[in-house]
Order: sequence, then structure tokens, then C-alpha cells
Amino acid sequence: MNEFSSQLPSILDQIIASIPVFKPELVIIVAFIGTILATLFFDTIWKHSSLAVAFLGIIASIMVTIPQIDNPTSGFFGMLIIDNFAVYARVIIQLALLVVLFLIQQYFKNKTFGKNLGDIYTILLAAGLGLNLLTVTTNWLLAFIAIETVSISSYILVGYFSETKRQAEAAMKYVLFGSVCAAIMLYGLSLLYGFTGNLDFASQAHIQGLISAPPVMISIALLFMFVGIGFKLGFVPFHMWTPDVYEGAPTPITSFLSTVPKIGAIVLLSRIFQAWVSTSFYFSELTLLFIVVVAIVTMLVGNLIALRQTDVKRMMAYSSIGHTGFLLMAVISTQTKDPQILLFYLAVYTLMNIAVFAFIQTLEEKIGSTTIADYAGLGKTYPILFTIFTFVGISLIGLPPTAGFIGKLLVFSATFDLYQTTQDIPFLLLLIVGALTSVISLFYYFRIPLYAFLRKGDETQNPPIPLTLTYGIGIIFGFLVLLFGIFPDLLLQVFN
Amino acid sequence: MGILSLLIFLPLVATVLILALPMTLRQSYKYIALAITLIQLILSGWLYANFDNTAAGINAIEGFQYVEQIPWIRLNLGSLGQLEIDYFLGVDGISLPLLVLSAFVMLMAIGASWNTEKSPKGYFSLIMLLNMAVMGIFCALDFFLFYIFYEVMLLPLYFLIGIWGGANREYAAIKFFIYTLFGSVFMLLVIVGLYFSVINPISGAHTFNMLYMMDPNNYVDGSFFAWFNNYNEILHIPARDIGFIVLFIAFAIKVPIVPFHTWLPDAHVEAPTPISIILAGILLKIGGYGIVRVCVSIFPDVVAHSNWWLGLIGVISILYGAFNALAQRDLKRMIAYSSVSHMGFVLLGIASLTVEGISGAMFQMISHGFLSAALFFLVGVLYDRVHDRNIYNFRGLATLMPKYTGFIAIAFFASLGLPGFSAFIGEAFVIIGTFNSESIGTGLPRWMAIAGSIGILLSAAYFLWTLQRMFFGQTRLKGGEQWAIALEGDVNCRERIILFPTLAIALILGVMPSLFFDKLNSSVLNLVSMVSQYL
Repeated sequence: MNEFSSQLPSILDQIIASIPVFKPELVIIVAFIGTILATLFFDTIWKHSSLAVAFLGIIASIMVTIPQIDNPTSGFFGMLIIDNFAVYARVIIQLALLVVLFLIQQYFKNKTFGKNLGDIYTILLAAGLGLNLLTVTTNWLLAFIAIETVSISSYILVGYFSETKRQAEAAMKYVLFGSVCAAIMLYGLSLLYGFTGNLDFASQAHIQGLISAPPVMISIALLFMFVGIGFKLGFVPFHMWTPDVYEGAPTPITSFLSTVPKIGAIVLLSRIFQAWVSTSFYFSELTLLFIVVVAIVTMLVGNLIALRQTDVKRMMAYSSIGHTGFLLMAVISTQTKDPQILLFYLAVYTLMNIAVFAFIQTLEEKIGSTTIADYAGLGKTYPILFTIFTFVGISLIGLPPTAGFIGKLLVFSATFDLYQTTQDIPFLLLLIVGALTSVISLFYYFRIPLYAFLRKGDETQNPPIPLTLTYGIGIIFGFLVLLFGIFPDLLLQVFN
Repeated sequence: MGILSLLIFLPLVATVLILALPMTLRQSYKYIALAITLIQLILSGWLYANFDNTAAGINAIEGFQYVEQIPWIRLNLGSLGQLEIDYFLGVDGISLPLLVLSAFVMLMAIGASWNTEKSPKGYFSLIMLLNMAVMGIFCALDFFLFYIFYEVMLLPLYFLIGIWGGANREYAAIKFFIYTLFGSVFMLLVIVGLYFSVINPISGAHTFNMLYMMDPNNYVDGSFFAWFNNYNEILHIPARDIGFIVLFIAFAIKVPIVPFHTWLPDAHVEAPTPISIILAGILLKIGGYGIVRVCVSIFPDVVAHSNWWLGLIGVISILYGAFNALAQRDLKRMIAYSSVSHMGFVLLGIASLTVEGISGAMFQMISHGFLSAALFFLVGVLYDRVHDRNIYNFRGLATLMPKYTGFIAIAFFASLGLPGFSAFIGEAFVIIGTFNSESIGTGLPRWMAIAGSIGILLSAAYFLWTLQRMFFGQTRLKGGEQWAIALEGDVNCRERIILFPTLAIALILGVMPSLFFDKLNSSVLNLVSMVSQYL
């Protein structure tokens, strides 16, 4: 006790000194509380008050995040690591959250909805907090807390809206699967802690412990640990929940789930990868092998199953599984300290995905369906929407002149460079599978223009689409996809 | 802005204009498209007239004309080094004739789509987009730029076949897209590999510049596609061979050669007439152009020891295409297979690695561009009137449509290689080149030349047989009186305006092949000298 009290001042000093590092998250916490209060007291006066508070909170958080650029620090005894990677990742996450806020507001604008909409914004902020934490830590404990924060928020986001039996089933699946995965991951972490006596996965002691631990136990521990991250990322074989959940959840929630949590999880995975794979010991090779195999399988499975989907949201769920595989390839190939290729791909992926879901949502409001067959003949009625929709689809395939193509090219380049220096066949396989799956993905992304332009629909006249906010977001993002496709330096320069 | 940029991006202006004009002015769309393609033809004529025949092209920037080089993307990618992508255009003897051909065929296609009623806005804007991509492909000297135009070309074509095509159009459109994309994604991997293997000797950065890729000294020692001392291999095939094979397959799908040809008959049969014209007249040439510009020029060392296989594939395409053409009952399908056969000559000529052979191959591409466009147009004339193309449903058309019969007879005779027409020059030079190959020592056996001649014989068989079946004898039509009335008018004025110059060019080129051989010659000599050091 005496020992503790003598250290107390220095601990306090450290905590106080760390608070500026924690500012963006603190702002979100304040906004979180603010939104609860606004929901309770002010929404009856002005129904947009909770949205406004959440919006301002995220804006303020971005404002305090940006000055952290080029000023690498750490805080809370090394629990938080702020580097440029973390700053950019958080800015992307928060910007995406901002857009999702409006998508949600638009989605429920014309719906009679028994529950309190303000609560959604609150939960979304909580998820944002967890995601922010995921990107700034190399500590298992904090990473686990962050993952759980995101997961629990996501359960609520999905479950809160469940109106039909199907949606309730999706939410239930999500919760059960998630909880089991979390428990397994926690068990894996306890093993890792047992071997190393240290929770910071980038630290020397941790790596030393991993080197000396018995291979069998290490394999089990790593496998358990990847179950947790795998669930969050939705890579094969932990992808089972995604299609049901994506299809069952309201469209804006799906656009959130399919995009934003991936950014956080990928950043964390990338940090683990960078810390571990540089050694030549058993656990490094196991990690590398594991991620390479998972990347290949995920790309193949995601894209192949997407071929057979009839619901556009479900198709996008499998497409996002396929893209997760590609993101893993990006994680593998950007081993070095400059993550700009990974960040570029993440940013572009976010743009593309949100644009697609914005269009899906616009169409859902108009024709009340998310079945691809119901888009038949609509290309004539909504030429602009479907042209941009098709264009974003082209970007998701990875064809020029789109940002998706540049992203794919950069990832291929990095992977090829890796293959050229190491001459390892698995990297070549990654390249070939990556190329092959873009051909496969052509089939299902092109079902949208196929139905919209090539097929004839019933001749019922659909009213024209007013320029709603959702539609506008889709158009702007589609335009950005073109802009960054022709002038990728605009975006890449930012991450430099 | 240089003249090549103008040539490439004028159609984009047309696209924007057409999209911006309201539907009430729908009649103006075709006039906009016509005006722009006319300007393009004049521009390409200007390029042709001012072209310096002595410039050697191929691997040195000094040999290219109308060069435009602007830094486009410059990025520091950390460990991957500096990313260097240029907006780099230029024309040499290989690309100039194809540019002129493209401008002409595009004009023909606009003429052929004059009566398009189904959503003309989308139709003409897509054709103009396709036009832009095609021009870009023939001008681009930066591999990245080339690839972008190459892929952009696919999208308008998918919709043009898919929306305006025939009954089975969805299948044809996606099949065409998948085939080409399958080739091109793997091409992308090779491009990336070349990028990491080549450095710009001036700036020291990796580069996509095709001309730098053709100089062995620019390759990094120990890189994947390194020219010298390269021990990289995949499945025991040397890395440079792999690179060549992948690129070759990508372009071979476009040519198309057997066995990657199956998309072509489907695409042609389903596509509307103007798109068939563009497909046969321009897009097939992109395959041949890619093989010369990319495969042979960047991998001359590989071509030098693999040309026997290329020649074999060429011969198989010639014979297989011809036999298939003999068996067809659909006139358009027959002509599509004849394209496969005629494009086989291009590959055989390139494989001979002789000046005669490669010049012949280039000439064959030009000649086939004009003639196949004319043939598909002629099929369209018939189909427009009676909506049937089955050869056995027509008989004795000669008495009913004498002018049409005249045009089609000229086109058939020109295509089968009658001396005096352009196809004769192309095919003859290819066969001479192949025949000489053994004496020069480039490695093609003489029987390949003989097999090529048999291909010409077969083409005479299927063309003349078709002529006999459809046009001679007693007039008998499946549709009876109704068809006879529909066909009565013979070819109209618009169709004559399009057909006459096309067939006239085929004749002029047959009489004065120097019109294009002069332009080609120094580039081809340079190419052959590049390859011959590795023989």
C-alpha cells in the first residue's frame, strides 16, 4: 500500500498527461452522453436535436483528431498509440459514421417507428468510440474491450429495429455467434497472457514469450484469438452471420455494419501482423500462413456464393466478405511502416460501399424492395441513378477508370513486390486468386445493370426520384470514386 | 492540347453533348455523332498526310510522331518507390494505319446506325465512348494508360450488345465481357511485374512507359522479368516466357484465335449491325495490334524461340475458322467465322518474323478491317429488310436485288483474296513471309505456308458456295411475296454512300498497296531487327 501511494503522484501525472491524447474519444463520450440527454429531453421540442448533438460531436471529434497528425505519442502507460495510421483511420471511421447518421435519419423519416430514433444515434456513437479505440491500441485488453464495445453496439443496432420474425432471428444469430466468439477470443488471450506475462502484443516481452512457448499451445492460442477478430471482420469461416444480419437489418445499419467496423478491425489486424511477422519463429510463420490461407479462401468463398444471391443486400454481404479477403491481402502486403496503400483501399472501399447502400436505400424507398429482379427495366425510369450505381459496381470489381481499380492495382503492386523479393508461392497464389475473383465478381455486380438496362420490367410507371439526401450522398460518392480513379494522387497525397 | 488528344477526346465531347441535350432534340444526336466522326476522319487523314515515313517507331521515342508526354500521376509510395505514370501518346507506322482505319470504320458505323430508334441517347453516347477508348488504345504508349483505355472499351460494348442486340443478347454480352476481362486481369498482373522490373534511366523510378520496357538495359538486375540472367520461374517455366504467354493470351482472346474464339460468333450474331461493324473492323485489330506493340516488342527474346507455336496457332485458326465457316447456315455467323480464319493470317504473318510476313500481317489487318466492315454492313442491309439471315431461306436474290448482289459479289471476291483487292496483298505477303522463314532461319516450316494457302482455297469455297446458294438460280424466298416486296427497293442511297467508298478503298489498296506499306515499312524493319538479334 505504501509502495502504491508513493507511486500515486506519478501515475496521476501520467494520466493527466495522457488526456490530450485521448481527446477525440473524450469528445465522443461527451457527445454520447449529450445525445442521451437530448433524446430524453429535447427531442420532443425539436425532433432533430439528438441528431444535431451526434453530428456536432463527430465533427468536433474529427477536429481534435486532425491536429494529431505527424505527432506520434502514446498515453495511459502505452495503452494508446497515436501514429499517423491511427489518425487517418479514425478520420475515415468518423467521416463514415457521419454519413451513416444521415442515412439513418433519412431512412426513418417517412416510417412510423414505434421506438425512439435518438437511441440509435447514441448507440452509433458508442460503436464509434469502440472503433476509434481499436485503431489506437497494441494492447490486448484494450483491443478486447474495443471489440466488445463495437459488437454490443452492433447487436443493439440490429436487434433494436427487428420488426419481423426474420429480423429478430438475424439479431439473435448475431448475438449468439458474437458472444461465443468473444468468449473464445478471451480464452485465447488468457493463454497468450499466460505465455508472455505481457498484454502489449508489440512489446519485446510479448514476442519473446511467444518465441519460447510450445508450438501446439501457441497454435491454439492464436487460433482462438483470430476467431474474435475473424468474427468482427467476417472472414471465412466466421462469416456465417453476415448474410442473415445484413439482409435482416435496415439498409443504413447494413451500410454501417459492412463498412465501418471493418476499418477498425483491419487496422488492429495490421498492427498485430506488423508486430509479429517480422520474426522468423514458429508463431510468425503460423500467423502469416493463417492470414494468407484465410485471405485466399475468403476471396473465393465470398465471391462464389455472391453469384447465387437474389437479394441485393445479401449479395452485398457476400461481396463484402470477398472484399475482406482482399483487405487481408492488403494487410499482408503492406508489412512495412507505411500504410498508405491500406488506407487508400479502406477509404475507397468505404466510399464504394456507402454509395451502393445509399442507392439501395433510395430504391427501397421508391419501389419497396431489395430484390434484384425488381430492378428490371428501371434503368429507363432512373437512368442517372443506375448509371452511377453501375459505375460504382465497376469500381467494386476493380476496373478502370475508378478508384477501386487504383486500389486493386496498388495492392497487387505491393503483393507482387513481396513476391519478387521473397519468391514465396503463397504470395503468387494470392495475386492469381485476387485477379480471378475480380472476374468472378463481374458476374454478380453486373446483375444490377443487367436487370436495370437489359431486361424489360412491367410497364407500371414509377414516379421520379426527388433529390433526397440519401440519393445525393450516393451521387457525390460515385463522383468521388471517379475523381480518385483518374487522380488518385488527390487522396494518396493526404495519406503521405 | 496535341492533335492525338484531340482525336481521342473529341468523342467524349460528343458524349457529353448528347447526354446534355433533351430528348426532344433526339434527331440531333446522330448528326452530332456524324459530325464528330467526320472531324476525326479528317484529323486522321491529316495525320496520315503529314506522317514522316522514315521514322522507325517501335522502341525509341524519336521514332514516334505527334508525341505528347505529360506527367500524370507522380506518387511516393514509400517502400514501393516512386510511382510514375505518364499521359504518353505517340504514333508510328504500326498504329497510324489502324488509327485511319478506326476513324473510317467509326464513320461507317454511325452511318449504319442512322435508323436507330431505340433510346438513341444512350446508343450514340455509348458509341462515342467506345470511339474514345479505341482511339486511346492505338495512341497510348504508357502501359497504364493503354490498360485503362483497354478496359474502358469493354463497358460501352457490353451495353451496346446487351441493350440493342438480338434475342440472346444477354448471354453474348456477358460472354464477350468475361472472355476479355479474364485475359486482361492477368495482363494487369504482368503489367505490375513489368513495372517493378523496369526503371526509367533518367529519373531512376519504376515506370509504366512501354518504350523503356523494350530496352534490355532498363531492366533491374534480379527483378522478376529481368532480361539477362533471369532464373525466376513459375512451374518450371521461365518468368519472361510466362509474361509473354499471359499477355499473348490476353490479346489472342481479342484477335480471336482458336480456341479462345467462341465469344466472337455469339457476339456478332447478337450485336446490331453497327456494332458488328465496329467489332470486326476495329476491335479484332486491337488484338493484333497488342501482339505487335506489346508481346513482340517487349518480349522479342521470347518471341524468337516461341514463334513456331504462334505460327501453328495461326494455321489452326485459319483452317478451323474456314471449316466452321463452311458449315454455317447463318450468314452473319459464316462471316464471323471467316473473320477468325482471316485473322489467323495476321498471327501467322507475325510469327514468321520476316519483314514480308509482318508487313503482310499489318496489311491484312487493314484490309480485313475494311472488308469485314463491308460484309457485316451488307448482312445488315438484308436483315433490316426481312429479319432473317439463314442462307437457305434465300435463293436467286440476284434477279430481285441486282445492285445488292453486285456489292456483295465484290465484297466476297475481295475477301477471298482475288488479286487486285487488298486481301490478296495481305495474304500473299503473309504466305511469302512464312515461306521465306525457313530460308532466313526464323523457324517456321514451309508446310505452314502451304496450310495457309489451303485456307485461302477454303475461303474461296465458302464464299462462292454462299454466293451460289443465295443469289443464283430461281428466286425463292422463305417469306414468299412479303419478303419480295420488302427486298424490292434494293440498296438505298445511304447504303450506297457507305458501301461504295469502303469497297473502293479495298480496290485501291489492292492496286496501290504502297499507300500503307510506305507508312509501315521503317517501323516493321525496326521491329524485325529488334527480334532478329535473338534468333
